[in-house]
Amino acid sequence: MNRGSAKKLKGKKDSARMFIFPVCVLACYGILCAIEPHKALIAMRTSGNLLLYIALPLVLVFVIMLALNLFVKPAQIVGLFGKGLRIKGIVFSVVAGIISMGPIYVWYPLLKNLREEGAGNGPMAIFLYTRAVKPFLLPVMIAYFGWVYVAILTFLTVSASIATGCFMSVFMKGK
Amino acid sequence: MKIAISSEGTDLKAQVGDRFGGSPYLIIADLDTGNFEAVSNPGSLGQHGTGVQTIVLIISNNVKTALTGYCSPTARRHLEANGIEIFTGLSGTVEEVLESYKKGEIRKTEAATIDHDPEKRVVDKAILIHAIQRSGNQFASMLPIFFGVVLLIGLLNTFVSRDFLAALFSGNPVLDTLLGAFFGSILAGNAINSYIIGGELLEYGVSLFTVTALIITWVTVGLVQLPVEIAALGRRFALLRNGICFILSIPIAIITVFIVNLVARRFL
Repeated sequence: MNRGSAKKLKGKKDSARMFIFPVCVLACYGILCAIEPHKALIAMRTSGNLLLYIALPLVLVFVIMLALNLFVKPAQIVGLFGKGLRIKGIVFSVVAGIISMGPIYVWYPLLKNLREEGAGNGPMAIFLYTRAVKPFLLPVMIAYFGWVYVAILTFLTVSASIATGCFMSVFMKGK
Repeated sequence: MKIAISSEGTDLKAQVGDRFGGSPYLIIADLDTGNFEAVSNPGSLGQHGTGVQTIVLIISNNVKTALTGYCSPTARRHLEANGIEIFTGLSGTVEEVLESYKKGEIRKTEAATIDHDPEKRVVDKAILIHAIQRSGNQFASMLPIFFGVVLLIGLLNTFVSRDFLAALFSGNPVLDTLLGAFFGSILAGNAINSYIIGGELLEYGVSLFTVTALIITWVTVGLVQLPVEIAALGRRFALLRNGICFILSIPIAIITVFIVNLVARRFL
């Protein structure tokens, strides 16, 4: 099997795996429809209402995703990493973590490469922590928890990321 | 000035690689000192993300110019965005191509200059289409699990009683926060799902401490991805980082709720 078809097969497997969970939930609905059709209908209506509630934030999510993909490139993100925990390295790692998108396992090979190139443990730990701040998901988060909560949690998340970076630098010294 | 040439082998007699991202080696030559080194091209592995690693390798080596047979539009965009010139359509040995470059015999191809004025609009359109496709793929990839979560919440809302959830959580902020952090650590997936689950748990009367800890650890602690993180960054780094993030999630959740309550009492 050549490399291209192996990649396609892996992609198909990943796509198929994504559907396991929703199919299982739908199967539960199927079973409940047979046992308690009235309650299953109420459950579906509840889910429908929930979807309507977050429809607009979801549109905003797509718009912000598009803007980030248009103006931010992965190569620029990795270029922001510092080797040590100086102010510039901290700020750049925080920014890199916040603007990075996609599942974390996509970033691991890149982080491994960066580490081999000499990137410090602190900046990498900061990057991994600040991925918890998702600018493109802010509309959904605000819809659920409100501006005040989101602003406070975002500020504390960034602060905690720096604390994590400092701890990692201390505990991983010489490693 | 450093130049990277895609290569089929490790010396100057090797043929120039047909594809920038797919050639087995990159020869990095320093024009000032005359030295060169051959490095393995991570892009030749053809795995997800390795193309970006090739670009990172080029940038981290301070390369200013890349010479190759062919370069994909995406790689070209990344390279040019980082100030690296790229010359394509080249063949022969690495040594011959390098000499031609030194003599100024290599000129940029049409594609290489496409980012400049005359065709700018065409390229802008291509970038926009690429960004829409990429965003569409990212968005679509989170939808199946997202819909699953929404459907599951409908079920939980209908079939699980508030009393049951109240029994699950003790009412003690520290213990409930720990429980939220634990659930967040073992659950994985797009963060949007943690917001929806958290929002619904609040409706059920679960405390904001628990929900906040769940949201924080959902992304920062990854027990499911731990083997991958260990493989990429080492056991000590992965265990230490996840441990620190778990422990930190407790005070962060408590402080967040404390400040939110304070702001609500004072200003809202």
